[in-house]
Amino acid sequence: MSFSDREILETVRMVELETLDIRTTTLGISLLDCADPHLESSCEKVYAKVVHHAKNLVETAESISADYGIPIVNKRIAVTPIAWVAAASGADDLTPFARAMDAAAREVGVDFIGGFTAYVDKGFTNSDHALMESIPSALAETERVCASIALASTRVGINMEAVRMFAEKVKQAAELTKDQGGLACAKLVCFSNAVQDNPFVAGAHIGVGEPETVLNVGVSGPGVVRSALARLDPDADLLGVAETIKRTAFKITRMGELVGREAARRLGTTFGIVDVSLAPTPAIGDSVADILELIGVERTGGHGTTVALALLTDAVKKGGAMASSSVGGLSGAFIPVSEDEGMIRAVREGALSLDKLEAMTAVCSVGLDMVAVPGDTSVATLVGIIADEMAIGMINNKTTAVRIIPVPGKGPGDTVEWGGLLGTAIVQKPTPFGCERLMRRGGRIPAPLQGYRN
Amino acid sequence: MSRRFLTAEDVLRESSSEILVDEATVVTPQAFEAAQANGIRIRTQSGDWTEPAPDRGPDASRAAAILPHLPEPDENPSLATGAIVTAVGVNRAGVLAELTAAIAAQGANVHDVSQKVIEGYFHMILTVELDGPASFDDFKTTLECLGNPNDFAVRVMNERVFRFMHRV
Repeated sequence: MSFSDREILETVRMVELETLDIRTTTLGISLLDCADPHLESSCEKVYAKVVHHAKNLVETAESISADYGIPIVNKRIAVTPIAWVAAASGADDLTPFARAMDAAAREVGVDFIGGFTAYVDKGFTNSDHALMESIPSALAETERVCASIALASTRVGINMEAVRMFAEKVKQAAELTKDQGGLACAKLVCFSNAVQDNPFVAGAHIGVGEPETVLNVGVSGPGVVRSALARLDPDADLLGVAETIKRTAFKITRMGELVGREAARRLGTTFGIVDVSLAPTPAIGDSVADILELIGVERTGGHGTTVALALLTDAVKKGGAMASSSVGGLSGAFIPVSEDEGMIRAVREGALSLDKLEAMTAVCSVGLDMVAVPGDTSVATLVGIIADEMAIGMINNKTTAVRIIPVPGKGPGDTVEWGGLLGTAIVQKPTPFGCERLMRRGGRIPAPLQGYRN
Repeated sequence: MSRRFLTAEDVLRESSSEILVDEATVVTPQAFEAAQANGIRIRTQSGDWTEPAPDRGPDASRAAAILPHLPEPDENPSLATGAIVTAVGVNRAGVLAELTAAIAAQGANVHDVSQKVIEGYFHMILTVELDGPASFDDFKTTLECLGNPNDFAVRVMNERVFRFMHRV
């Protein structure tokens, strides 16, 4: 069999010029057998098990990269929600678990480990409560640990007590890392309808029903989609746009399928899912906002942005679903503000407000992601922002998330540099009208009608 | 079910000078240190404990059996281990000869060549079968080192990548 020159050059161009890469290979490791009544023993087991299973992860990913000529950018680990593992220890402060995870991640050479996690969408166990209390210190003391909390779901509703506690922890985490622009909050996310096989941080973890170990892959490639659209006739109709995105997503996902199969085989584990997400990076051209502007909105955030994003997300999913039998995770388009050069430009020019961003999250694959707000934003306002986002997920049967950073000492319009993959943010202004009473009422918002589907 | 872990706490509770664990037990680094400090030997039925291969769980063995049966795009590729070599650069005499000589020196076999010169730049695509002793990684490194920024650039990718992307 031979390939035409056009096919060959297309693939080479994707890798060389359009930053096609495998964004992450994430090894999921169940830590349920690490539970122990003795806190130190339990942490020892966590460290030992993660290192035991993941010590070849980086080497394996690099060997695949070398053998196939496809870059694999990140190697990561996702573990069982620590609240479940820590329950047997009865500890009030779960920071030692975060330290053990951090040490293990450093030992095996991965950049992030996700799973400092609790599910509290209906209520707290003692261990869930202890985990949430430990979040600020756990994230401030460690470098590579990511925390996520499931606050709501379509099945059970929104736990507003947990939303308030989460908002308080966001503020405390930002305060503890004020010298780094509230960096701890970049490793902290909350979910409505949390995804249990998500390979992307900060929300990566391995939930119930997952195997002992599993290899999940996240593919990316906004640059490839952007170039395909740039080559498309500017007068092509939207069916043509959708078709172009779908075909491109298919090709990108095939790379994920190939790498996933190969990585699972070489590690001797199960191949879980390919997460087909357009995940932007601060690199020029690797931007989801650029794609929206190529579809036809003047600036991301302008009218027409939501429909363009809806078209994009859906076409990516369709192309992905054809390319792999194991599409999972979040799959769609991410819109992390600080990590996307086009989104930052839109905020700087006043095109993209927090409100429009919220509307966009109703049709993207995740939610309010890497959004900076002023450091003096009140807990009540944070509760309002988070609960609004949880409601969008709950009612629409979709995953939504909030990763918000109240940057200490910064006001609206100020710039924050986090560097690396996290990029640059411009602090956005929330509305001046609060929701104190809503927060004070607390309690639980019951599941919507669409949750009763039996 | 075997004992999953041996922790420092387990070692400190031990009164004898020897702890018997299973082959599959993971001994934590702290347990290992505690045992050494207290002169306790950790052993299995067959001798001193050494770190076992990771037990990836019941699904992993099933997965290993299934993976080879997942349909590959284009089931019967004509090449055993194929590589696609592309080169781009300023046109001059002898580039094709240099590349093919390097490929032959690696014991690989060229199946197909395509070359075009457009406005002083050449684009070259070679489909190569690696049946010699060189590994893909060595082959790739050797060829990619041939290029230099002022002359031409070489890229080597596995043929399976193209099969996955362009065939179903």
